[in-house]
Amino acid sequence: MTINQIQNGTEMTLQVEGRLDTTTAPDLEKQINGIENADSLVLDFSKLDYISSAGLRVLLAAHKTFAKKGGMIVKNVNEIVLDIFDVTGFKDILNIQ
Amino acid sequence: MSDTIIKISHLRKEYPNVTPLKDVNTEIRRGEVISIIGPSGTGKSTLLRCINLLEKPTGGEIYIDGVQINAPKADVPALRRKMGMVFQSFNLFNNMSVIENIMAAPMDILHKTKEEAYNKGMELLRMVGLADKENVLPNQLSGGQKQRVAIARTLAMDPDIVLFDEPTSALDPTMVGEVLSVIRSLAKQGLTMMIVTHEMKFARNVSTRVFYMDDGIIYEDGTPEQIFDNPQKERTRRFIHRLKVFEERIGSRDFDFVAAANRLDLFCEKHNLSAKAHNNIRLIFEEMLMQSLMVHNTDWTSMTFTAEYSEDMECADVSLHYSGSRFNPIEYCDEISRSIIENAAGEYRYDYTDGINDVFFKNIACK
Repeated sequence: MTINQIQNGTEMTLQVEGRLDTTTAPDLEKQINGIENADSLVLDFSKLDYISSAGLRVLLAAHKTFAKKGGMIVKNVNEIVLDIFDVTGFKDILNIQ
Repeated sequence: MSDTIIKISHLRKEYPNVTPLKDVNTEIRRGEVISIIGPSGTGKSTLLRCINLLEKPTGGEIYIDGVQINAPKADVPALRRKMGMVFQSFNLFNNMSVIENIMAAPMDILHKTKEEAYNKGMELLRMVGLADKENVLPNQLSGGQKQRVAIARTLAMDPDIVLFDEPTSALDPTMVGEVLSVIRSLAKQGLTMMIVTHEMKFARNVSTRVFYMDDGIIYEDGTPEQIFDNPQKERTRRFIHRLKVFEERIGSRDFDFVAAANRLDLFCEKHNLSAKAHNNIRLIFEEMLMQSLMVHNTDWTSMTFTAEYSEDMECADVSLHYSGSRFNPIEYCDEISRSIIENAAGEYRYDYTDGINDVFFKNIACK
Protein backbone atom coordinates (compact mmCIF):
# COMPACT_ATOMS: atom_id res chain seq x y z
CA MET A 1 0.00 0.00 0.00
CA THR A 2 1.16 3.52 -0.73
CA ILE A 3 -0.26 6.77 0.60
CA ASN A 4 0.02 10.06 -1.21
CA GLN A 5 -0.64 13.13 0.97
CA ILE A 6 -1.96 16.41 -0.51
CA GLN A 7 -2.75 19.45 1.63
CA ASN A 8 -5.12 22.15 0.40
CA GLY A 9 -5.61 24.83 3.04
CA THR A 10 -7.16 23.15 6.05
CA GLU A 11 -8.16 20.07 4.05
CA MET A 12 -5.88 17.07 3.90
CA THR A 13 -6.32 14.46 1.14
CA LEU A 14 -4.80 11.01 1.45
CA GLN A 15 -4.75 8.98 -1.75
CA VAL A 16 -4.56 5.36 -0.66
CA GLU A 17 -3.35 2.82 -3.21
CA GLY A 18 -3.25 -0.99 -2.93
CA ARG A 19 -4.53 -3.03 -0.02
CA LEU A 20 -5.65 -1.89 3.39
CA ASP A 21 -5.22 -4.97 5.54
CA THR A 22 -3.76 -6.19 8.83
CA THR A 23 -0.22 -5.39 7.78
CA THR A 24 -0.82 -2.01 6.11
CA ALA A 25 -3.61 -0.51 8.25
CA PRO A 26 -1.16 0.60 11.00
CA ASP A 27 0.67 2.72 8.38
CA LEU A 28 -2.52 4.57 7.47
CA GLU A 29 -3.34 4.98 11.14
CA LYS A 30 0.08 6.49 11.80
CA GLN A 31 -0.26 8.86 8.87
CA ILE A 32 -3.72 10.03 9.99
CA ASN A 33 -2.58 10.50 13.58
CA GLY A 34 0.33 12.58 12.31
CA ILE A 35 -1.92 15.16 10.59
CA GLU A 36 -1.56 18.44 12.41
CA ASN A 37 -2.57 21.41 10.32
CA ALA A 38 -5.87 20.21 8.87
CA ASP A 39 -9.47 20.30 10.03
CA SER A 40 -10.95 17.99 7.48
CA LEU A 41 -9.78 14.74 5.92
CA VAL A 42 -10.49 13.37 2.45
CA LEU A 43 -9.65 9.72 1.78
CA ASP A 44 -9.38 9.09 -1.95
CA PHE A 45 -9.88 5.35 -2.51
CA SER A 46 -9.83 5.36 -6.32
CA LYS A 47 -6.80 3.06 -6.23
CA LEU A 48 -7.76 1.02 -3.17
CA ASP A 49 -8.35 -2.63 -4.20
CA TYR A 50 -9.09 -4.29 -0.89
CA ILE A 51 -10.14 -3.52 2.64
CA SER A 52 -10.44 -5.82 5.64
CA SER A 53 -11.71 -5.23 9.17
CA ALA A 54 -8.29 -3.94 10.19
CA GLY A 55 -8.66 -1.12 7.65
CA LEU A 56 -12.24 -0.42 8.70
CA ARG A 57 -11.22 0.05 12.32
CA VAL A 58 -8.71 2.71 11.28
CA LEU A 59 -11.43 4.48 9.26
CA LEU A 60 -13.78 4.36 12.21
CA ALA A 61 -11.20 5.93 14.55
CA ALA A 62 -10.36 8.62 11.98
CA HIS A 63 -14.05 9.32 11.44
CA LYS A 64 -14.48 9.89 15.17
CA THR A 65 -11.44 12.15 15.37
CA PHE A 66 -12.47 14.34 12.44
CA ALA A 67 -16.13 14.42 13.39
CA LYS A 68 -15.09 16.75 16.17
CA LYS A 69 -13.38 19.00 13.59
CA GLY A 70 -14.25 19.62 9.94
CA GLY A 71 -15.29 16.03 9.14
CA MET A 72 -14.02 13.14 7.01
CA ILE A 73 -15.04 12.26 3.47
CA VAL A 74 -14.34 9.00 1.65
CA LYS A 75 -14.47 9.28 -2.11
CA ASN A 76 -14.00 7.28 -5.34
CA VAL A 77 -14.75 3.95 -3.70
CA ASN A 78 -14.74 0.94 -6.01
CA GLU A 79 -17.45 -1.71 -6.02
CA ILE A 80 -15.60 -4.32 -3.95
CA VAL A 81 -14.72 -1.87 -1.17
CA LEU A 82 -18.21 -0.36 -1.28
CA ASP A 83 -19.66 -3.83 -0.81
CA ILE A 84 -17.65 -4.18 2.41
CA PHE A 85 -18.86 -0.75 3.61
CA ASP A 86 -22.37 -1.94 2.90
CA VAL A 87 -22.31 -5.27 4.75
CA THR A 88 -20.53 -3.84 7.78
CA GLY A 89 -22.86 -0.85 8.12
CA PHE A 90 -20.04 1.61 7.37
CA LYS A 91 -22.07 3.00 4.50
CA ASP A 92 -24.37 4.58 7.09
CA ILE A 93 -21.56 5.86 9.29
CA LEU A 94 -19.08 7.27 6.81
CA ASN A 95 -19.59 10.22 4.52
CA ILE A 96 -19.05 8.51 1.16
CA GLN A 97 -19.00 10.50 -2.04
CA MET B 1 -16.06 -70.47 -18.21
CA SER B 2 -15.37 -68.23 -15.23
CA ASP B 3 -17.00 -64.85 -15.10
CA THR B 4 -13.65 -63.25 -14.32
CA ILE B 5 -11.57 -62.51 -17.40
CA ILE B 6 -8.69 -60.60 -15.79
CA LYS B 7 -7.38 -60.79 -12.26
CA ILE B 8 -4.61 -58.50 -11.09
CA SER B 9 -2.96 -58.76 -7.71
CA HIS B 10 -0.29 -56.52 -6.24
CA LEU B 11 0.81 -55.32 -9.65
CA ARG B 12 3.83 -53.06 -9.43
CA LYS B 13 5.79 -51.31 -12.16
CA GLU B 14 8.97 -49.42 -11.39
CA TYR B 15 11.23 -47.40 -13.65
CA PRO B 16 14.58 -46.07 -12.46
CA ASN B 17 13.15 -42.69 -11.45
CA VAL B 18 9.45 -43.26 -11.07
CA THR B 19 6.97 -45.92 -9.92
CA PRO B 20 3.76 -45.47 -11.92
CA LEU B 21 2.09 -48.57 -10.44
CA LYS B 22 2.57 -49.27 -6.75
CA ASP B 23 -0.03 -51.87 -5.86
CA VAL B 24 -2.90 -52.51 -8.25
CA ASN B 25 -5.49 -55.12 -7.31
CA THR B 26 -8.67 -55.81 -9.23
CA GLU B 27 -10.83 -58.34 -11.03
CA ILE B 28 -12.52 -57.67 -14.33
CA ARG B 29 -15.58 -59.63 -15.34
CA ARG B 30 -16.82 -60.46 -18.82
CA GLY B 31 -18.97 -57.76 -20.38
CA GLU B 32 -17.71 -55.00 -18.14
CA VAL B 33 -16.88 -51.67 -19.72
CA ILE B 34 -14.34 -50.03 -17.47
CA SER B 35 -13.23 -46.44 -17.88
CA ILE B 36 -9.95 -45.56 -16.25
CA ILE B 37 -9.71 -41.91 -15.31
CA GLY B 38 -7.31 -39.87 -13.22
CA PRO B 39 -4.64 -37.19 -13.42
CA SER B 40 -1.73 -37.49 -15.88
CA GLY B 41 1.14 -39.66 -14.75
CA THR B 42 -0.84 -41.83 -12.37
CA GLY B 43 -0.23 -45.11 -14.20
CA LYS B 44 -3.42 -45.45 -16.28
CA SER B 45 -1.69 -46.27 -19.56
CA THR B 46 1.02 -48.25 -17.77
CA LEU B 47 -1.70 -50.48 -16.32
CA LEU B 48 -3.05 -51.31 -19.79
CA ARG B 49 0.45 -51.84 -21.14
CA CYS B 50 1.24 -54.23 -18.28
CA ILE B 51 -1.97 -56.19 -18.87
CA ASN B 52 -0.86 -57.13 -22.38
CA LEU B 53 2.81 -57.20 -21.44
CA LEU B 54 3.93 -54.31 -23.59
CA GLU B 55 5.55 -53.40 -20.28
CA LYS B 56 7.01 -56.07 -18.04
CA PRO B 57 5.63 -55.77 -14.51
CA THR B 58 8.20 -55.38 -11.74
CA GLY B 59 6.06 -57.36 -9.32
CA GLY B 60 2.64 -58.92 -8.77
CA GLU B 61 0.53 -61.20 -10.91
CA ILE B 62 -1.80 -60.79 -13.87
CA TYR B 63 -4.16 -63.64 -14.74
CA ILE B 64 -6.11 -63.88 -17.98
CA ASP B 65 -8.83 -66.52 -17.82
CA GLY B 66 -7.08 -67.97 -14.78
CA VAL B 67 -3.68 -68.30 -16.47
CA GLN B 68 -0.84 -66.15 -15.18
CA ILE B 69 0.34 -64.09 -18.12
CA ASN B 70 3.55 -62.90 -16.45
CA ALA B 71 4.68 -66.33 -15.20
CA PRO B 72 8.08 -67.40 -16.56
CA LYS B 73 6.72 -70.10 -18.87
CA ALA B 74 3.48 -68.44 -19.92
CA ASP B 75 2.41 -68.74 -23.56
CA VAL B 76 2.44 -64.99 -24.02
CA PRO B 77 1.39 -64.87 -27.71
CA ALA B 78 -1.65 -67.08 -27.01
CA LEU B 79 -2.69 -65.00 -24.01
CA ARG B 80 -2.07 -61.76 -25.86
CA ARG B 81 -4.34 -62.95 -28.67
CA LYS B 82 -7.24 -62.73 -26.28
CA MET B 83 -6.65 -59.00 -26.05
CA GLY B 84 -6.80 -56.21 -28.54
CA MET B 85 -5.22 -52.85 -27.99
CA VAL B 86 -6.14 -49.53 -29.54
CA PHE B 87 -3.44 -46.89 -29.22
CA GLN B 88 -3.56 -43.13 -29.06
CA SER B 89 -1.47 -42.91 -32.25
CA PHE B 90 -3.39 -45.49 -34.37
CA ASN B 91 -0.24 -47.49 -35.36
CA LEU B 92 -1.55 -48.42 -38.83
CA PHE B 93 0.77 -49.66 -41.55
CA ASN B 94 1.02 -46.72 -43.91
CA ASN B 95 2.20 -48.78 -46.88
CA MET B 96 -0.90 -51.01 -46.77
CA SER B 97 -4.48 -50.14 -47.71
CA VAL B 98 -7.18 -49.94 -45.08
CA ILE B 99 -8.51 -53.44 -45.77
CA GLU B 100 -4.99 -54.91 -45.91
CA ASN B 101 -4.28 -53.42 -42.50
CA ILE B 102 -7.31 -55.22 -41.14
CA MET B 103 -6.69 -58.54 -42.94
CA ALA B 104 -2.99 -58.94 -42.13
CA ALA B 105 -3.11 -60.27 -38.56
CA PRO B 106 -6.10 -62.62 -38.99
CA MET B 107 -4.32 -64.25 -41.95
CA ASP B 108 -0.82 -64.37 -40.41
CA ILE B 109 -1.71 -65.26 -36.85
CA LEU B 110 -5.18 -66.84 -36.92
CA HIS B 111 -4.46 -68.47 -40.32
CA LYS B 112 -7.73 -67.33 -41.78
CA THR B 113 -8.17 -67.58 -45.53
CA LYS B 114 -7.93 -64.40 -47.54
CA GLU B 115 -11.65 -64.57 -48.25
CA GLU B 116 -12.57 -65.05 -44.59
CA ALA B 117 -10.29 -62.20 -43.56
CA TYR B 118 -11.69 -59.95 -46.29
CA ASN B 119 -15.32 -60.68 -45.46
CA LYS B 120 -14.78 -60.11 -41.77
CA GLY B 121 -12.74 -56.97 -42.52
CA MET B 122 -15.48 -55.50 -44.69
CA GLU B 123 -18.10 -56.33 -42.09
CA LEU B 124 -16.05 -54.45 -39.52
CA LEU B 125 -15.41 -51.52 -41.86
CA ARG B 126 -19.16 -51.25 -42.40
CA MET B 127 -19.63 -51.26 -38.65
CA VAL B 128 -17.23 -48.34 -38.18
CA GLY B 129 -18.73 -46.55 -41.17
CA LEU B 130 -15.72 -46.77 -43.50
CA ALA B 131 -16.62 -49.48 -46.02
CA ASP B 132 -16.00 -47.04 -48.89
CA LYS B 133 -12.38 -46.54 -47.77
CA GLU B 134 -11.23 -50.15 -48.12
CA ASN B 135 -8.59 -49.42 -50.77
CA VAL B 136 -7.39 -46.12 -49.44
CA LEU B 137 -3.97 -45.71 -47.77
CA PRO B 138 -4.05 -44.60 -44.12
CA ASN B 139 -2.35 -41.27 -44.82
CA GLN B 140 -5.35 -40.27 -46.96
CA LEU B 141 -7.63 -40.59 -43.94
CA SER B 142 -8.43 -38.11 -41.21
CA GLY B 143 -7.34 -38.86 -37.64
CA GLY B 144 -10.82 -39.95 -36.64
CA GLN B 145 -11.05 -42.29 -39.64
CA LYS B 146 -7.61 -43.77 -38.89
CA GLN B 147 -8.68 -44.53 -35.34
CA ARG B 148 -11.88 -46.19 -36.54
CA VAL B 149 -9.78 -48.38 -38.86
CA ALA B 150 -7.50 -49.20 -35.93
CA ILE B 151 -10.54 -50.29 -33.93
CA ALA B 152 -11.77 -52.46 -36.83
CA ARG B 153 -8.31 -54.01 -37.11
CA THR B 154 -8.30 -54.85 -33.42
CA LEU B 155 -11.77 -56.42 -33.61
CA ALA B 156 -10.71 -58.53 -36.60
CA MET B 157 -8.71 -60.67 -34.15
CA ASP B 158 -11.89 -61.54 -32.20
CA PRO B 159 -10.42 -60.45 -28.89
CA ASP B 160 -12.11 -61.31 -25.59
CA ILE B 161 -11.22 -57.88 -24.28
CA VAL B 162 -10.17 -54.65 -25.94
CA LEU B 163 -7.86 -52.20 -24.20
CA PHE B 164 -8.16 -48.58 -25.36
CA ASP B 165 -5.27 -46.33 -24.44
CA GLU B 166 -6.56 -42.76 -24.73
CA PRO B 167 -8.15 -43.45 -28.11
CA THR B 168 -9.20 -39.85 -28.73
CA SER B 169 -6.30 -37.92 -27.20
CA ALA B 170 -4.45 -37.42 -30.48
CA LEU B 171 -7.56 -36.36 -32.40
CA ASP B 172 -8.80 -33.01 -33.50
CA PRO B 173 -11.80 -32.17 -31.25
CA THR B 174 -14.16 -32.38 -34.24
CA MET B 175 -13.26 -36.05 -34.72
CA VAL B 176 -13.57 -37.24 -31.14
CA GLY B 177 -17.31 -37.86 -31.44
CA GLU B 178 -17.13 -40.32 -34.35
CA VAL B 179 -14.59 -42.50 -32.52
CA LEU B 180 -16.48 -42.41 -29.24
CA SER B 181 -19.68 -43.40 -31.00
CA VAL B 182 -17.98 -46.51 -32.42
CA ILE B 183 -16.71 -47.45 -28.94
CA ARG B 184 -20.17 -46.80 -27.53
CA SER B 185 -21.74 -49.21 -30.02
CA LEU B 186 -19.18 -51.88 -29.04
CA ALA B 187 -20.14 -51.42 -25.40
CA LYS B 188 -23.77 -52.03 -26.32
CA GLN B 189 -22.76 -55.30 -28.00
CA GLY B 190 -21.35 -56.53 -24.70
CA LEU B 191 -17.66 -56.48 -25.59
CA THR B 192 -15.40 -56.36 -22.53
CA MET B 193 -13.38 -53.17 -22.63
CA MET B 194 -10.98 -51.13 -20.57
CA ILE B 195 -10.70 -47.53 -21.70
CA VAL B 196 -8.18 -44.99 -20.48
CA THR B 197 -9.82 -41.68 -21.22
CA HIS B 198 -10.01 -38.01 -20.37
CA GLU B 199 -13.53 -37.76 -21.82
CA MET B 200 -15.51 -37.61 -18.59
CA LYS B 201 -18.96 -37.41 -20.13
CA PHE B 202 -18.20 -40.42 -22.28
CA ALA B 203 -16.81 -42.36 -19.31
CA ARG B 204 -19.93 -41.61 -17.38
CA ASN B 205 -22.34 -42.65 -20.13
CA VAL B 206 -20.62 -45.69 -21.59
CA SER B 207 -19.07 -47.47 -18.59
CA THR B 208 -20.45 -50.05 -16.26
CA ARG B 209 -17.58 -49.37 -13.88
CA VAL B 210 -15.03 -46.61 -13.37
CA PHE B 211 -11.52 -46.78 -11.92
CA TYR B 212 -10.17 -43.54 -10.56
CA MET B 213 -6.40 -44.02 -10.55
CA ASP B 214 -4.10 -41.89 -8.47
CA ASP B 215 -0.78 -42.37 -6.78
CA GLY B 216 -0.09 -45.72 -8.46
CA ILE B 217 -3.19 -47.52 -7.23
CA ILE B 218 -6.86 -47.88 -8.16
CA TYR B 219 -7.79 -45.19 -5.70
CA GLU B 220 -11.53 -45.56 -6.09
CA ASP B 221 -13.51 -48.21 -7.96
CA GLY B 222 -17.23 -47.78 -8.44
CA THR B 223 -20.19 -47.35 -10.69
CA PRO B 224 -20.24 -44.21 -12.83
CA GLU B 225 -22.93 -42.84 -10.52
CA GLN B 226 -20.73 -43.31 -7.47
CA ILE B 227 -17.56 -41.92 -9.00
CA PHE B 228 -19.13 -38.94 -10.75
CA ASP B 229 -22.02 -38.03 -8.44
CA ASN B 230 -20.94 -39.24 -5.06
CA PRO B 231 -17.22 -39.96 -4.89
CA GLN B 232 -16.24 -41.40 -1.54
CA LYS B 233 -12.66 -40.21 -1.45
CA GLU B 234 -11.21 -36.75 -1.30
CA ARG B 235 -8.87 -36.94 -4.29
CA THR B 236 -11.57 -38.41 -6.51
CA ARG B 237 -13.87 -35.57 -5.57
CA ARG B 238 -11.22 -32.99 -6.38
CA PHE B 239 -10.51 -34.56 -9.73
CA ILE B 240 -14.16 -34.99 -10.74
CA HIS B 241 -15.05 -31.42 -9.89
CA ARG B 242 -11.82 -30.21 -11.47
CA LEU B 243 -10.97 -28.55 -8.21
CA LYS B 244 -8.02 -26.24 -8.00
CA VAL B 245 -6.67 -26.43 -4.51
CA PHE B 246 -4.65 -23.95 -2.51
CA GLU B 247 -3.18 -25.25 0.70
CA GLU B 248 -1.21 -23.26 3.25
CA ARG B 249 0.27 -24.89 6.32
CA ILE B 250 0.71 -22.54 9.21
CA GLY B 251 3.32 -23.56 11.74
CA SER B 252 3.24 -20.84 14.37
CA ARG B 253 1.69 -17.52 15.38
CA ASP B 254 4.69 -15.79 13.84
CA PHE B 255 3.97 -17.12 10.36
CA ASP B 256 4.68 -14.80 7.44
CA PHE B 257 1.19 -13.47 6.66
CA VAL B 258 2.34 -11.26 3.78
CA ALA B 259 4.08 -14.13 1.99
CA ALA B 260 1.14 -16.49 2.55
CA ALA B 261 -1.35 -13.88 1.31
CA ASN B 262 0.82 -13.36 -1.77
CA ARG B 263 0.74 -17.09 -2.50
CA LEU B 264 -3.02 -17.01 -2.17
CA ASP B 265 -3.20 -14.05 -4.58
CA LEU B 266 -1.04 -15.88 -7.11
CA PHE B 267 -3.29 -18.93 -6.88
CA CYS B 268 -6.40 -16.83 -7.51
CA GLU B 269 -4.79 -15.04 -10.45
CA LYS B 270 -3.40 -18.22 -11.98
CA HIS B 271 -6.80 -19.91 -12.02
CA ASN B 272 -8.69 -16.81 -13.16
CA LEU B 273 -10.96 -16.52 -10.16
CA SER B 274 -13.39 -13.63 -10.41
CA ALA B 275 -12.43 -10.45 -8.51
CA LYS B 276 -15.26 -11.14 -6.09
CA ALA B 277 -14.22 -14.74 -5.38
CA HIS B 278 -10.60 -13.65 -4.93
CA ASN B 279 -11.60 -10.85 -2.57
CA ASN B 280 -13.87 -13.06 -0.48
CA ILE B 281 -11.32 -15.85 -0.08
CA ARG B 282 -8.68 -13.28 0.85
CA LEU B 283 -11.01 -11.74 3.43
CA ILE B 284 -11.79 -15.08 5.07
CA PHE B 285 -8.09 -15.87 5.18
CA GLU B 286 -7.23 -12.59 6.82
CA GLU B 287 -10.18 -12.23 9.20
CA MET B 288 -9.98 -15.79 10.48
CA LEU B 289 -6.25 -15.90 10.93
CA MET B 290 -5.31 -12.36 11.84
CA GLN B 291 -8.37 -11.22 13.77
CA SER B 292 -9.33 -14.44 15.49
CA LEU B 293 -7.05 -17.46 15.52
CA MET B 294 -3.63 -15.80 15.81
CA VAL B 295 -4.89 -13.31 18.40
CA HIS B 296 -7.24 -15.31 20.62
CA ASN B 297 -6.28 -18.96 20.27
CA THR B 298 -3.09 -19.79 22.08
CA ASP B 299 -3.59 -23.53 21.99
CA TRP B 300 -3.27 -24.88 18.49
CA THR B 301 -0.78 -26.87 16.48
CA SER B 302 -0.47 -27.74 12.81
CA MET B 303 -3.02 -25.51 11.14
CA THR B 304 -3.99 -25.88 7.48
CA PHE B 305 -5.88 -23.35 5.40
CA THR B 306 -7.40 -24.79 2.22
CA ALA B 307 -9.21 -23.01 -0.60
CA GLU B 308 -10.85 -25.06 -3.34
CA TYR B 309 -12.13 -23.60 -6.56
CA SER B 310 -14.26 -25.56 -9.00
CA GLU B 311 -13.69 -24.46 -12.57
CA ASP B 312 -16.79 -26.34 -13.70
CA MET B 313 -19.15 -24.72 -11.26
CA GLU B 314 -17.29 -21.44 -10.72
CA CYS B 315 -17.67 -21.81 -6.98
CA ALA B 316 -15.28 -21.88 -4.07
CA ASP B 317 -15.08 -23.36 -0.60
CA VAL B 318 -12.58 -22.65 2.15
CA SER B 319 -11.68 -24.73 5.18
CA LEU B 320 -9.42 -24.46 8.20
CA HIS B 321 -8.20 -27.42 10.23
CA TYR B 322 -6.18 -27.29 13.42
CA SER B 323 -5.60 -29.43 16.45
CA GLY B 324 -5.80 -28.30 20.06
CA SER B 325 -8.70 -27.51 22.32
CA ARG B 326 -12.13 -26.47 21.10
CA PHE B 327 -12.01 -23.04 19.47
CA ASN B 328 -14.77 -21.80 17.19
CA PRO B 329 -13.06 -18.83 15.53
CA ILE B 330 -16.15 -16.83 14.59
CA GLU B 331 -17.10 -16.53 18.25
CA TYR B 332 -13.94 -14.50 18.81
CA CYS B 333 -14.45 -12.11 15.91
CA ASP B 334 -15.74 -8.62 16.53
CA GLU B 335 -18.89 -7.45 14.82
CA ILE B 336 -17.08 -5.92 11.85
CA SER B 337 -15.06 -9.04 11.18
CA ARG B 338 -18.09 -11.27 11.58
CA SER B 339 -20.15 -9.22 9.11
CA ILE B 340 -17.38 -9.49 6.55
CA ILE B 341 -17.17 -13.26 6.93
CA GLU B 342 -20.91 -13.80 6.85
CA ASN B 343 -21.10 -11.82 3.65
CA ALA B 344 -18.17 -13.67 2.05
CA ALA B 345 -19.41 -17.22 2.69
CA GLY B 346 -22.93 -18.50 2.16
CA GLU B 347 -22.53 -21.10 4.85
CA TYR B 348 -20.32 -21.38 7.93
CA ARG B 349 -19.88 -24.66 9.76
CA TYR B 350 -17.75 -25.59 12.73
CA ASP B 351 -17.03 -29.12 14.02
CA TYR B 352 -14.86 -30.33 16.85
CA THR B 353 -14.00 -34.02 17.04
CA ASP B 354 -11.21 -35.83 18.83
CA GLY B 355 -9.07 -32.76 19.35
CA ILE B 356 -9.44 -31.50 15.76
CA ASN B 357 -11.17 -28.25 14.88
CA ASP B 358 -12.74 -28.15 11.40
CA VAL B 359 -14.08 -24.87 10.07
CA PHE B 360 -15.87 -24.76 6.71
CA PHE B 361 -16.90 -21.81 4.60
CA LYS B 362 -19.17 -23.03 1.84
CA ASN B 363 -20.65 -21.30 -1.20
CA ILE B 364 -18.32 -18.38 -1.26
CA ALA B 365 -19.80 -15.58 -3.32
CA CYS B 366 -17.99 -15.63 -6.68
CA LYS B 367 -20.20 -13.48 -8.90
